[in-house]
Amino acid sequence: MIQFFHVSKSYPGGQTALDDVTFDIPRGQFVFLTGASGAGKTTLLKMIFREEVPSDGQILVNGRNVASLPRGKIPYLRRTLGVVFQDFRLIPRKTVAENVTYLPRVLGHDAKSRKALAYQALRRVGLAHRTKAFPAELSGGEQQRVAIARALVNEPELLIADEPTGNLDPKLSEEILRLFLDINRRGTTLLIATHDRELIQRTGRRVLTLDQGRLVGDENLEAPVSVPMERELNAERELDAERTLNEVDESGGVQAPREAEA
Amino acid sequence: MTFTQALAYFFREAAVSLARSWKVSLLAVLTIAVSLFIGGAFLLAGSNLASLADEWRGEARVVVYFEPAAGEAERAAVRAAAAGEPWARQVVEVGPEEAAERFRESFPSLSGLLESDGASPLPASVEVLLAPDADAAAVSAWAEAQRGAPGVDMVDDDRDWLGRLEALTALVRGAGLVLGAVLLAAAVFTIASVIRLTAYLYHEEIAVMRLVGATEFFIRGPFYVEGMLQGLLGGVLAVAGLYGGTRALVSQDAATGLLSQALAPGFFSLREAVALVLLGGAAGLFGALLSLRREKLDEVAEVGQGEV
Repeated sequence: MIQFFHVSKSYPGGQTALDDVTFDIPRGQFVFLTGASGAGKTTLLKMIFREEVPSDGQILVNGRNVASLPRGKIPYLRRTLGVVFQDFRLIPRKTVAENVTYLPRVLGHDAKSRKALAYQALRRVGLAHRTKAFPAELSGGEQQRVAIARALVNEPELLIADEPTGNLDPKLSEEILRLFLDINRRGTTLLIATHDRELIQRTGRRVLTLDQGRLVGDENLEAPVSVPMERELNAERELDAERTLNEVDESGGVQAPREAEA
Repeated sequence: MTFTQALAYFFREAAVSLARSWKVSLLAVLTIAVSLFIGGAFLLAGSNLASLADEWRGEARVVVYFEPAAGEAERAAVRAAAAGEPWARQVVEVGPEEAAERFRESFPSLSGLLESDGASPLPASVEVLLAPDADAAAVSAWAEAQRGAPGVDMVDDDRDWLGRLEALTALVRGAGLVLGAVLLAAAVFTIASVIRLTAYLYHEEIAVMRLVGATEFFIRGPFYVEGMLQGLLGGVLAVAGLYGGTRALVSQDAATGLLSQALAPGFFSLREAVALVLLGGAAGLFGALLSLRREKLDEVAEVGQGEV
């Protein structure tokens, strides 16, 4: 899914952000990218969605050579990815549904279709009841979930997140992590940059470690604590399915959700 | 997204943006309106003067005035000389009494000047109406020859002052074009600044739209349409102002009619008025294009990335 071949990045001042980084992330994997501040995590992520261009080396994302991608093709690459940031990047004057449906709007979906997509994406993050709310009315965790919904709205094959729990307390971080696990279980590849070692240890997945721009670690962690987390997820999913069935029963058939038409 | 859908989206977003930042938008609209009004006013005045000159040129004459002592023989000689010329459309002799009558009709308030002992103080004349395709050199040579003829006091060639009127018309048009172009450039610069300001207001959205995969066309389209709408609105205001201005000039100048007849007897044709409005739209679009060159919008989006 993501392949880095001897990728380096230097800035005109001589500062090196990445130095000869090589790794391969197969489709469907959940990977943490860690390292101290300034290790090069954000630069590496930005290269995946072509916000940055490597000074040297090649990057393949889903078979596309990102480094040599013409400028006009960048939007089409980005439509296949979902990106989440530490600072959420929501538009304050837009409702939650409007924030989530930027891409569907770009893709030409009509209002009804956009509402349905917003509902589906927000339902996945547990915020289907907040479609009309504005970001300022939401907690930090909810805002991050909206940002995740925006990243998921087009069912991307790859989701990348840069310190997604950096602004959240441990409880909300846990909530967001569970959400990522759920997204990964549905087949989406995840690459999450974080310096939260505790979170990484508890999740127990593959970890790439950067230090001063060099890839100094690539390990798979055991995840003893992850089992109950996934149990909780399964329980929630069953509840979710039950709720859906109830909605169908009450309405006598599958129809557009009420929130989606709001 | 189809092109039609994109256009509808651009217009919707542009309208929202115009309403949202109406004060700065109004500044841009007024700037372009003023520049088109001033440029248009000069062009309109030039156009009217040119029409007037054309109209008068159709009635251009060479008038030979006789000395009071000149007799029928001298006048007949001039008439005969004119009648033989191919460029002479009509030869008319005007006696002193008829000249006085014409003066009274044209300038009733000054008719008292002619009240004396009954005899007209005005001289007799022979008017030679020129054919539209009159040979200018031949007419000039004939007029020059008449200046030395017996009994002739003076020869007045309408083409002399018509030439000066046409020179004035060209000057007015030229000044209008130069002034209009300078003011339009200022208006384009204002619109460019306003659109850039608007882009900064939307920097968060620009950054998000780039992030989710919106094309540059999709991101810039609303700004282009906004610039164009500002220009079109400015053009409409300018045309409305010019129309109101010419009507006011005509009504206020009704007593003498001289100024209004010379400068504002006719307004732009519908096609010309539409062209002026479209010129405003084009100027607005150009301003938007200028303000959203790639590197400019990149700067805006970078601000957005840091602040969203």
